[in-house]
Amino acid sequence: MTTAPAIAVEGVGLRSRERSRRVQAFIVASLLALGVWQLATFVSDGWVPSLGRIAAAFLEDLTTVQVWADIWVTFRRILVTFSAATVIGVGLGVAIGLSRRIAAFFRPIIVIGLAIPDPVYIIVAILVLGTEESSGLIALVIALVPFVVNIVVSGVRARDQGLDEMSSVYRLGRRRYLLDVLGRQVAPALLAATRTSFAFAWKLIVLVEALTQPRGIGAQIYYSFRLLRPDHMISLALLFIIVLRATEAIVFTPLERRLLGWMR
Amino acid sequence: MTERPEGSIADLRKAVRDRWLDFVLGFAGLGSLVLVWWIGSRTTTFVPSIAEVISSIPEFVREEEIWPDVLATVRRVFGALGIAMVTGFGAAYVMSRGGLWGQVVDRYVSLMLGIPSTIAALLALFIFKRSEVGVYFVVAIITFPFVALTLLQGLRAADRRLDEMSDVYRFPATAHVRHVAGPHLVPYTFAALRNEYAHAWKVVVLAELFAVNTGMGARFARAFDRFLLVDAMLWLLVFMVILLGTEYLLLLPAERRVLRWRGSGQVMA
Amino acid sequence: MPARPDGNADYIRVAGLQVSYDGTTLALADMDLVASKGDFVAVLGPSGCGKSTLLHAMSGVLQPQAGGIEIGGHAVEGSMGSDAPLIGYVFQDHRLLPWRTVAQNISIVLHAAGVPKVEIEDRIERYLTMLQIDRLRDAWPMRLSGGQRQRVSIARALALQPAVVLMDEPFSTLDEVTARLMRQQLAELWQESGQTIVFVTHSIREALFLANRVYVLTKGPARVLEVVDIPIERPRRYEDPRLTELEGQIVNRVMSVWGYGEPEFEPTNQERQ
Repeated sequence: MTTAPAIAVEGVGLRSRERSRRVQAFIVASLLALGVWQLATFVSDGWVPSLGRIAAAFLEDLTTVQVWADIWVTFRRILVTFSAATVIGVGLGVAIGLSRRIAAFFRPIIVIGLAIPDPVYIIVAILVLGTEESSGLIALVIALVPFVVNIVVSGVRARDQGLDEMSSVYRLGRRRYLLDVLGRQVAPALLAATRTSFAFAWKLIVLVEALTQPRGIGAQIYYSFRLLRPDHMISLALLFIIVLRATEAIVFTPLERRLLGWMR
Repeated sequence: MTERPEGSIADLRKAVRDRWLDFVLGFAGLGSLVLVWWIGSRTTTFVPSIAEVISSIPEFVREEEIWPDVLATVRRVFGALGIAMVTGFGAAYVMSRGGLWGQVVDRYVSLMLGIPSTIAALLALFIFKRSEVGVYFVVAIITFPFVALTLLQGLRAADRRLDEMSDVYRFPATAHVRHVAGPHLVPYTFAALRNEYAHAWKVVVLAELFAVNTGMGARFARAFDRFLLVDAMLWLLVFMVILLGTEYLLLLPAERRVLRWRGSGQVMA
Repeated sequence: MPARPDGNADYIRVAGLQVSYDGTTLALADMDLVASKGDFVAVLGPSGCGKSTLLHAMSGVLQPQAGGIEIGGHAVEGSMGSDAPLIGYVFQDHRLLPWRTVAQNISIVLHAAGVPKVEIEDRIERYLTMLQIDRLRDAWPMRLSGGQRQRVSIARALALQPAVVLMDEPFSTLDEVTARLMRQQLAELWQESGQTIVFVTHSIREALFLANRVYVLTKGPARVLEVVDIPIERPRRYEDPRLTELEGQIVNRVMSVWGYGEPEFEPTNQERQ
């Protein structure tokens, strides 16, 4: 086995090659996916809507004001749940990651929490708190927290414990330690956690809305399901995913660059 | 003074005590859930009391017809998870190599990370009608991207110093995978396994709800529909027992055994 | 001009070697080195001068830009076929597999080299005893001290009974007392096993104590500045005044070349780390 130690040479040539490859990949991926989709349409006798129908539905939805109002409703809910879940999850995760005892106590709760199907949370919350918006959101926060905790815990566990010792020797104090020492190390995991909880929140909210609320994208998708309009189901979902991706690009990517800049 | 490689007797005793304490604390954690249950049974009308549920256990367990459903769901979880782990590893490997195909797979995985289980379940319903395959499909599709993501992290975090050592000592590919690359991936595999095992359970219930009529999810839904809340609670309990059982009896011991080389950081004189 | 050892045929021959590790910057420029079988040769240079790169090239892992390496008559230039000479390598940071026991770490390497199973057991026993760590055979590397890990690393290299053992500053991360002990032991082991060793270090004293011949390199891109023969009989003492004098000569020689200022007029008696 002969390999020269691979130290990459940063050059202009490499960057543009990388970019063109990414574009290539995008094109290949898209073409492949579209091809498979058409096949599925064909094979399922039209149950799977054809690309043409989806495109038409997409255009229709894009220009309907109601749809955008619903998108905003859903978006707002996601924001609320994901922030709450992140805050709680990070707090709990740090505690669990740092203390073996706390970890042992919460283990069964987390294990079960990760596995309880979302409808259960929602149904229980509705029954307990009534069919207001808040009950669904509370259920979602409870459902999201275990996931965030999980990610944060792995981040905390993977830290350089040598730095812990350094901070105690130099008596940096709890606040400084959490922010500058632990926080910085956990930041990449944290970012992953927020990304994940953002993504999960979206999935759960769709479910909640499908089951309870008359407003929101999830509800719209469910109505499309009931009306046997799978093309609208997909186009609405696509539209929302695009909005989410845009948000991710606008909010998370710059954040990532700022927080993780020191790693490059 | 004789020294055993595993450390002194005092170390062993401490390890056993630690393990015991972990178990007790875990029990306490479980207890807090029971407490929540108790509060729920007192403050609401529909949550059955603990006593009521416990007294129904013997009869429930003796009912023969519950076991096929339990087994069906378990089979689906393990089967679909297996598929997800294998394909997930494949995808992670391709992604780690980069290049055109690596990026293509990367796109797919990112996309699949965002599919809500509801939509996947409904999609499977459309494609596979009401069949067993549909359930496997949904669970595998949902868990696969997460497995791929975790394993990709593991592959990217490979220790190049050990790779260099393996190059210098000319390990054949089989030895390299078996002794260097493989063991390095073990903690990541466990992380993926743990998370996606729970995830699979979550999704399987949903999938069963939409697609088939057998399995624990279906039973739970039926009990709920008919307002047989004690039954619903019992199914929930079965669910939790299986979950905690696999965690404490399978995953934790396996993990402990495979990672015992980490040690407690003690150095021998 | 590199000195030739009297009489013995060259077992290891490096000629005009040029190596870069990223394709553009040369780490080694025109390196020459010879060693006879059973020789102990040291390569001495300041930190980062490319001396590790020499070992990388000699192990076949790194392809040189120019020049040739011959080990035991076999040409080694960037590729090692299955019939190529065996190489034992002791890294600065041990590089033991943390998830395998000490004995397993050795057996894995022997197995990869095609040593038959019966003999593997034999060698493990023998070399662990030689390094005085036989009681550690079932220990996990993470439980061992730095010195112990390095011993395992050395045992692993020796057990291979390779054509040459390449050692890359193996003692530089150890505390002084342990390092001294290890140097002593290494000298004894070398005499007992008759192994050919190429030893890289930045400690002048260490090089003089251990080797028959020291190649003193310049800063990077490195070439041979001087070759110093050490005709002092063995076993040597670390504090031998003859070593001190040689050290002083070398220090004077390299002070300006390695960029540390003007040479002093009196040989210094300080320990170079």
